[in-house]
Amino acid sequence: MDASQAMKGFLDVAVLAVVEAADNYGYEVVRLLREAGLAEVGDASVYGTLRRLYQAGALTSYAVASEEGPHRKYYAINERGRALLKEGTETWQSFADTIDRLLGLPRRAA
Amino acid sequence: MTPTLGVVELTEAGQGYLRRVAAQLADLPDEDRVELLEDLTLHLAALEQEDDDRSLEDRLGDPAEYAADLRTAAGLPPAPRPSTRSSRALAVLGAAARPVRTFVPQLLPGWWVARGYLIVLLLSLLPVNSHRDFPVPAPGGSHALGAVLVLLAVVASVALGRRAQHRWHLAMAVAVDVAVVVAALATAAQVPDRLVRTDYVMVTPPSPFTDSSLITPHGPVTNVFAYTLDGTPLAQVLLFDQDGRPLRTGEQLWWKDHCRRVIEQPKALDGVAIDHVYPKAYVLDPARRGLSGTNVVDPATCTAKVAPSVVLPKVRPGS
Repeated sequence: MDASQAMKGFLDVAVLAVVEAADNYGYEVVRLLREAGLAEVGDASVYGTLRRLYQAGALTSYAVASEEGPHRKYYAINERGRALLKEGTETWQSFADTIDRLLGLPRRAA
Repeated sequence: MTPTLGVVELTEAGQGYLRRVAAQLADLPDEDRVELLEDLTLHLAALEQEDDDRSLEDRLGDPAEYAADLRTAAGLPPAPRPSTRSSRALAVLGAAARPVRTFVPQLLPGWWVARGYLIVLLLSLLPVNSHRDFPVPAPGGSHALGAVLVLLAVVASVALGRRAQHRWHLAMAVAVDVAVVVAALATAAQVPDRLVRTDYVMVTPPSPFTDSSLITPHGPVTNVFAYTLDGTPLAQVLLFDQDGRPLRTGEQLWWKDHCRRVIEQPKALDGVAIDHVYPKAYVLDPARRGLSGTNVVDPATCTAKVAPSVVLPKVRPGS
């Protein structure tokens, strides 16, 4: 199965998790997701997700001047975003447990 | 809140990519479009800082696909169909053609049947013959054979049509269709001749006067009588024309007494009858048939003269 297809439904959680760890700008979010192992995730998908989460009031945004190049548009998580992340994490946990059981894998530590 | 970002400088390639994505987002509300393009501008600028020789298309994908992914992930509606004048015209045509597109497949089985019939009909029409080929073709003059062939051809044609989902079958079916249509059109030009006139073939009955008759103002010559100057009738004379060709007369078929007569021809050494021996020896038909060929006559009533009575000129002796 194509990992990018499986990932699509949980990209929100992944992006929220990255931004929750630290405020960040799009380019860096893409890089961190790839570094974490989501090699297939598309730049456009990440930016689209950031835009949607921002519109949904789960993220805030601010500009920071950069010495190395252009200004950066940082995203930061807020209360609403954290609630979404918690909800998404539980959904993922439940989903992952279900699939683990189906695959006969040992229960992972909670 | 939209942060202020200041001026961002992009390379030409970056600007081109940005423009092409922007073109795909043109229908979005200003706020969404500006934000997404701003993100992309910054992203492109950041990518240009990297030490990577790959093109933007290689790294980010086709601009149209990038824009489509952006829309999907952002929960925005997909791009509407391009609405240039020609594409609008195409859309109108497409809508108008939709009933045709649904109707044509329903007609196809009918065409498969017609195709099988046409193949046999057209092949039957190829040789000019006197048989009526329509509506049932008669290859070799047999309507029964035609009916069987039509049945087989229809079955084969329908089978071909049903299997035409595969590329090769489809190509073959289209080739057959084109051939049948072309042949049908070519044949249609001759339809009045081939389909109608075949019933009325002119038959010329064999005639005793067709190709070998001597004709005089009084009618066809059916016998020749030769006499020597002293009035002696000559028997079994061979007559030739000025070029040495045997002189042939017609055969007398009608006799005053309605008794049929036949010619007794002398035969050459090889047994072949010599037909230009005169006078012809007309003798009564041994089967005693009459002129109609079916009635039997009494030879006693057959009194018509075979040789005419002639008046010979008086010849001055010695001339």
